[in-house]
Amino acid sequence: MEAILRVDGVSKKFGGLMALSDVTFDVARGRILGLIGPNGAGKTTMFNCVAGLYRPTEGTIVFRPGARDQQVQGEKPEKMTALGVARTFQNIRLFSSLTVLDNVRIGRHCRTFSNFFGAVLRTRAQRAEEKRIIDDAMQWLDFVGLGGNALQSAASLSYGDQRRLEIARALATDPKLLLLDEPAAGMNPKETESLVDLVYAILEKDVTVVLIEHDMKLVMRICEHLVVLDHGVKIAEGAPAAIRENPEVIEAYLGKGAAHA
Amino acid sequence: MRGVTALLGPLKYLLLAAALAYPLTPVSDVYVLHVLVLIMVYMVLAMGLNIMPGFCGLLDLGYVGFYGIGAYTAGLLTLNYDLSFWVIVPLAVVNGALWGVILGAPTLRLVGDYFAIVTFGFSELVVLFLTNEIWLTRGPLGLPGIAPVSLDLSWLSTLLHPEWNWRYDFYGETPYYYLGFLMVTVIYVVMRRVEDSRLGRAWLAIREDPMAAASSGVNLFEYKIIAFAVSSGIGALAGAFFARWTMFLSPDMFKFWESFLVLCMVVLGGLGNIRGALIGAAVLISLGEVLRVVLPGLGLPAETRFLAYGLIMVLIMRFRPGGFFTAVAESTLTSPLIMDLRRTLAARKTG
Amino acid sequence: MLEQQLVNGLTLGLIYALIAVGYTMVYGVIELINFAHGEVYMFGAFLCMMFLTVFGAPLIVAVLLSMVCCALMGVLLDVVAYRPLRNAPRLAALITAIGMSIFLQNLAMIIWGSRPLPFVKEALPAFFKVTALSFGDVKISWMQMTIYIVAVALMILLNLIITKTRTGTAMRALAQNRVCASLMGINVNRVIAFTFALGSGLGAMAGIMVSMFYNTMYPTMGYNAGVKAFAAAVLGGIGSVPGAMFGGVVLGIAETLGAGYVSSPYRDGVAYAIMILVIILRPSGLLGRAVTEKA
Ligand SMILES: Nc1ncnc2c1ncn2[C@@H]1O[C@H](COP(=O)(O)OP(=O)(O)OP(=O)(O)O)[C@@H](O)[C@H]1O
Ligand SMILES: [Mg+2]
Repeated sequence: MEAILRVDGVSKKFGGLMALSDVTFDVARGRILGLIGPNGAGKTTMFNCVAGLYRPTEGTIVFRPGARDQQVQGEKPEKMTALGVARTFQNIRLFSSLTVLDNVRIGRHCRTFSNFFGAVLRTRAQRAEEKRIIDDAMQWLDFVGLGGNALQSAASLSYGDQRRLEIARALATDPKLLLLDEPAAGMNPKETESLVDLVYAILEKDVTVVLIEHDMKLVMRICEHLVVLDHGVKIAEGAPAAIRENPEVIEAYLGKGAAHA
Repeated sequence: MRGVTALLGPLKYLLLAAALAYPLTPVSDVYVLHVLVLIMVYMVLAMGLNIMPGFCGLLDLGYVGFYGIGAYTAGLLTLNYDLSFWVIVPLAVVNGALWGVILGAPTLRLVGDYFAIVTFGFSELVVLFLTNEIWLTRGPLGLPGIAPVSLDLSWLSTLLHPEWNWRYDFYGETPYYYLGFLMVTVIYVVMRRVEDSRLGRAWLAIREDPMAAASSGVNLFEYKIIAFAVSSGIGALAGAFFARWTMFLSPDMFKFWESFLVLCMVVLGGLGNIRGALIGAAVLISLGEVLRVVLPGLGLPAETRFLAYGLIMVLIMRFRPGGFFTAVAESTLTSPLIMDLRRTLAARKTG
Repeated sequence: MLEQQLVNGLTLGLIYALIAVGYTMVYGVIELINFAHGEVYMFGAFLCMMFLTVFGAPLIVAVLLSMVCCALMGVLLDVVAYRPLRNAPRLAALITAIGMSIFLQNLAMIIWGSRPLPFVKEALPAFFKVTALSFGDVKISWMQMTIYIVAVALMILLNLIITKTRTGTAMRALAQNRVCASLMGINVNRVIAFTFALGSGLGAMAGIMVSMFYNTMYPTMGYNAGVKAFAAAVLGGIGSVPGAMFGGVVLGIAETLGAGYVSSPYRDGVAYAIMILVIILRPSGLLGRAVTEKA
């Protein structure tokens, strides 16, 4: 199985706190990997390291969008996006006074080119590009089911739709790897159900998905592979069934939710 | 209600025509024209500043520095080299933009408040420079006798006919009124077009959420630098116009007060709204003129009108943080492509 | 000459430090540059003068009254202008702060006129003019000595308040994490108001001492002093009280030396240049801790 992302010995220190210590795992191309662990385990920190928001204190991150490996630890977020890593945020971060469409259009930023002069002179190329941006953005909005809301303000969407919009914006950057940070948080069962469908649809688009999720039922159901963090340390890795049985994981994490799972 | 909005379209053009015809009518008045030209200068400044706090969410307190750089560039080039206004404008704009980049490059990594205070320090340094580098700027004495704008096409006319001399000097307020009108229109169109473009969206993304913007692929540094360059270039343009209009410059024309005034215009009009910047400039300059007359009547110095400006700013932020026009990215909503989309969506809903 | 510059620089620096702690404490608790702080300092001088002339109060009483009034003014500023914007975007609070600063400055201009006024000389004790210490050419007057003593005493007092009292501890807790602090049962608004009162009172004292020392006060005096004190706060690391004291003294000395040896027209420029350089090169200041943005 080819890995699209290899996290190798990554540590991240905040002052005296080891948010991640020596974490190693691979993300297989075209699959769903679940990153789980109790609160404060370092999951979001791992995303931030991969997405370029944090520079790991130690370790390497290798991204392989196409046929070539690339060391990417410490790259800027916009560079990571250009390379093909997109992400959503645990606490939704939309451009909330802009329209739904504009949010997704901004996602197209890294795949388009026109500049100040194009904008002022309204060159033929610029106009064609604007048209393409709208078409692409609409395509992604329809993909997540928000096409009809395109001209609404982003802030006016329901919570679940805002999460979908964030996913659409991330997808608009044409990623190879999509990092979803607790996408089902705050969703009702119906919304969660359609989120599952959406994740499968994303996979079909040849995008690899890494998912942070606290909803164990959801994780066990859709992830093919799980990585478990606790206090910044990887304590287990494997198929959902094996993780469920893993005593260390049960102790660290499933302890309180074991009956639930 | 619909009738009113339907009327608004023609009314707009009527107003525009009236504005254009005004200096030629018998009711036109030199003082009013002067104030109107001043309003136009501030309209340009307000549109330029709006890019920073309005589009990018960066509080630039040193905007007047670029205005001053533009004005002195124009003034000095006119006095020392007798260059034509039309050559000076691009030079002043480039010089302003250059200083924007020089100041921007190291400071844009700073978070909000620090950025504000550094830009403030910068504009104070500009004033100190203009005051103290007497060899260049004549210091507090200022630069008097800057030639007015002239439109010199004599090189062309003499080619056509040896006795023709197509040269027009801008004396009085009327020609500046039209020149100012042109300047405001050009900057307005530029800003509207930029707002509805990849660049404008990137700026607005930075304003809304820098982290999400970076994760969406916007290079924060690059786009803030562009914002700085465009904004300071526009400030310098206003400065160049101002220099050739008032024909006199002195360092205390470019003190912090001016930055504050322009910021107040942008805040009043609505941060991020281009039309708001125009309205803000018109309202505050008019208010200033009224207060200038009223205050001495009350036995107060005319400068105390800033009391009103300060109060306006506090009240706006408290009760109507969006200003007069709260809409952000207004021009995007009416662009032809979006209108098309609106129709498609409507058809989809019914069909 | 150098020694005299140092002495004068120290006087100036201690005064900057008194203003700077006001900026830094407020920044510590609500992360806002309180631009109006310079105006509070200016009001300190004017109010003191008013108590002396209009009410004929003795100097000590006038000073204390002025400090109390300014403390109240600081609280009012917070309650009226900043508190309603606590959850608004940062830009809104910052713009309000600038608006308040301009408003207060012009208010002073309306009340007291825009011309500089002298300090009430008759109110000053006679011994202020007497030289307290002299080493060779260097002379330190009793007025300067008084400034040193008062400034140092106030800062020691401030440090005691911050480290030893419950409210001081609450202030520090707030500076660490506002949400946590409020969860732990700290009355956040009251602590913030207290911070404003404390900073404003010290600012008023600084204003009074400056107007005494230079024998002048004018409505725009808060503008330059405010920026320089802010520069001092930045230099020492914003949010850090000892840093502000240290920054004030360093800046005061740098400014007088800069004016004496480099170029006197650029006197104010020294402070701006130092501030800009520190912010760009070391935004956490010389004594401050690095701040990281949370994701
Ligand atoms: N910027 C930061 N500065 C300091 N500490 C941080 C920072 N970001 C995260 N931390 C700390 O690192 C640890 C891991 O945080 P992280 O957000 O990665 O946890 P998480 O696994 O995502 O938890 P949750 O399930 O609650 O989202 C926590 O103790 C957190 O307080
Ligand atoms: Mg998390």
